Amino acid sequence: MVSVEPSTREPLDRRVNMPVSALAGRRRRGRQATPYVLALPTLIVIAALLAYPIVKMIMLSFQHLTQRDLFTGESPSWIGLGNYTAVLSDSFFWTVVVRTVVVAAVCVLLSVGLGLAVALLMRRVTPWVRILMTVAMMLVWSMPQLVSTQVFGWLVDADWGVLNWALDKIPGVDYTNHSWWVNPVQGWTVIVILVVWGAIPFIAISLYAGLSQVPRELVEAAVMDGAGPWAVFRSVTFPILRPLVGIVTTLSAIWDMGIFTQIYVIRGSKPELDYYNLAIYAYQEAFAKSQYSPGAAISILTVILMLGLMAFYVRQMFRIGDAD
Amino acid sequence: MRRRIAVAAALAATLLGAAACGGKSASSSDSLDGKGKTLKVWLMVDAQTGWPGVVDAANAKFKADTGANVTIEYQQWTNHLTKLDATLAGKDVPDVIELGNTEAAKYVFNGGLADITAKKSGFDNSANWLTGLSAPCESDGKLYCVPYYAGARVLIYRTDMFSAAGLQPPKTYEDLVADAQKLKSQHASDPKFSAFYMPGAYWYAAMSWVYGSGGQIAQKGSDGKWKGTLEDPAAEAGLQKWADLAKQYSKGDPTKNESDQDPVFAQGDSAMLYGNGWELGAVQSQHKDANDPNSPMVDTAVKGKVAAVPLPGFSDGKSLPSFLGGSIVGVAQKSKNQGLAAEWIKDFTSTSSQQALLAKGALPNATNLLDAAAAVAGNEASATAAKSSWFTPNAPTWADVEKGNILQQALVDIVTGKKSVDDAAKAADEQITSALNAS
Repeated sequence: MVSVEPSTREPLDRRVNMPVSALAGRRRRGRQATPYVLALPTLIVIAALLAYPIVKMIMLSFQHLTQRDLFTGESPSWIGLGNYTAVLSDSFFWTVVVRTVVVAAVCVLLSVGLGLAVALLMRRVTPWVRILMTVAMMLVWSMPQLVSTQVFGWLVDADWGVLNWALDKIPGVDYTNHSWWVNPVQGWTVIVILVVWGAIPFIAISLYAGLSQVPRELVEAAVMDGAGPWAVFRSVTFPILRPLVGIVTTLSAIWDMGIFTQIYVIRGSKPELDYYNLAIYAYQEAFAKSQYSPGAAISILTVILMLGLMAFYVRQMFRIGDAD
Repeated sequence: MRRRIAVAAALAATLLGAAACGGKSASSSDSLDGKGKTLKVWLMVDAQTGWPGVVDAANAKFKADTGANVTIEYQQWTNHLTKLDATLAGKDVPDVIELGNTEAAKYVFNGGLADITAKKSGFDNSANWLTGLSAPCESDGKLYCVPYYAGARVLIYRTDMFSAAGLQPPKTYEDLVADAQKLKSQHASDPKFSAFYMPGAYWYAAMSWVYGSGGQIAQKGSDGKWKGTLEDPAAEAGLQKWADLAKQYSKGDPTKNESDQDPVFAQGDSAMLYGNGWELGAVQSQHKDANDPNSPMVDTAVKGKVAAVPLPGFSDGKSLPSFLGGSIVGVAQKSKNQGLAAEWIKDFTSTSSQQALLAKGALPNATNLLDAAAAVAGNEASATAAKSSWFTPNAPTWADVEKGNILQQALVDIVTGKKSVDDAAKAADEQITSALNAS
């Protein structure tokens, strides 16, 4: 795991350097080709699974593919930037872009914030409580999204849901048959809770691993100097944790920009327009309305949006490399 | 293997498939000698849960006649077209496909189904097929698929609640509203009580109100272009009446569709329901485990307390036109066993198969069998309702309107009060127009 690296600098350096220097000593020539040969299988798999579909999708976004073309195998016509201009000049697209970004931002803030809080808590509890917490989080983590989404859907169901039943027990509150999906703010709250609930385990466990590398003597020294818990966190713990927080934040941002299963399944595979994000929008255009090419264009635009984030993520990775 | 991964890879799937299929199958596939061959048939789950015997009987006769084997693969309705589209784009396609009758046009016009005009006279009752089923199968005088069965919607009501309130089943729409009002006030103490359970996204129901008021969903102009017509005054009047009923007398999640209305009604907190004829059975007994079609049936809270009548319409003596739902079966254009596939369809839609279907509460595919259907207990109301019915616009891309949630969105917007009837109808019309004229 990447997360343990920041404070294992010494052994890490040695691990990396040893084989390289050994190689350098013996076969200086082969040194340049070997990494590429070793990476070849990975590259082939990536090319087959990723590059081919992506290239086809880019082509599709410049075409007009009809169902007739699809069924009969006729080649679709090329229409240049038509799909893009149509999508970009549609105000609904921009509504969806803003919604996607806002939802992702809320999800990232909550999941990283709560994940960090859980990680800090794990440092303070007794070992068996820590084991219990880890097991609970592993269970959450290992539950397929499809299943957890279905369960959440049942919890908030208007006719059968336990949430309405429980709220109803509070005196003076009437939640009989309350629909959580009429008001999109409530609906998105349910979805955000579901996403954050599913995201916390990875973040908490990664950050906990990072926290365990914070040297105790540094914390002790800070306390001796009169630093309170908050000051210790801000000036000692967090700076050491920062690169790791950067990574989980960027990763979360990428994941949360592309939330699909949770929305699609919890809305009974017929999401209302209020519940469209970019992923749902692209899917609905392509597969619900059979507008394959505009759907592809939306996907490409989403990818471009994500690339910006990816650049940030990669830079973070390199920065950690530099620090080492 | 590559194809399987591709199917999972959503958008990429379609592309990969489109790239993979170059040639067209035009070999001598018409032969009826099926020795050593296996016919692949995609049927919807209704046959598996409702009338497996009909399938077995057709398979047995088919095998005896041709010597070919049959594999049936049962499909779920939810998103089955997405799977079908991805499959049809490839080479390994099912030979026979079942489609909802509103979905057929898309495959008829787009070359998904094979031309079986030459075999039409060989199918039983082909002269008397219900138009709601056969019209979408035809294009330019050619036949591309065969009607399989139909269903019509009726008013299902609680006999015990009606007699406790001293009511008779409604004869006019005004009666129905007055009955709902009386039942509502009688059950005011039950916070979950729906005098008429009507989910917000139940578009088959709402459109019946539209057609009952003289409106329609869309119209084809003289220029051959389609236009959404929900904003016409007649259609809006129907939408308004439907929305009034749903808002006034239905409790429950207004964003739901009709997919779980039977278990909701079976809880016993609703007095009326608009459903298919066979739902009369579905509300009274349900599988013990809803996820296991083999689990035993158990009686619900409303067992023996329900009956069905045609839902009264807006003019005297007429019932509200029901959506004529149903299924058709066709031969895939890319099938390599087209002759065998048509032969299986012949066996599967024969008069004897149809008679076995009637006993299970479905409606037959032909008018000459409707009277026989009405004679089956529990079927009377739906057989009557089928005689006055409406059907979706017969445009090649109609299925995209359904799959695109256009009507459902408009209806939910109306019922939840997010949009006025006029605003929602106009927004829907705009999208219907663009979807129906898309190529």
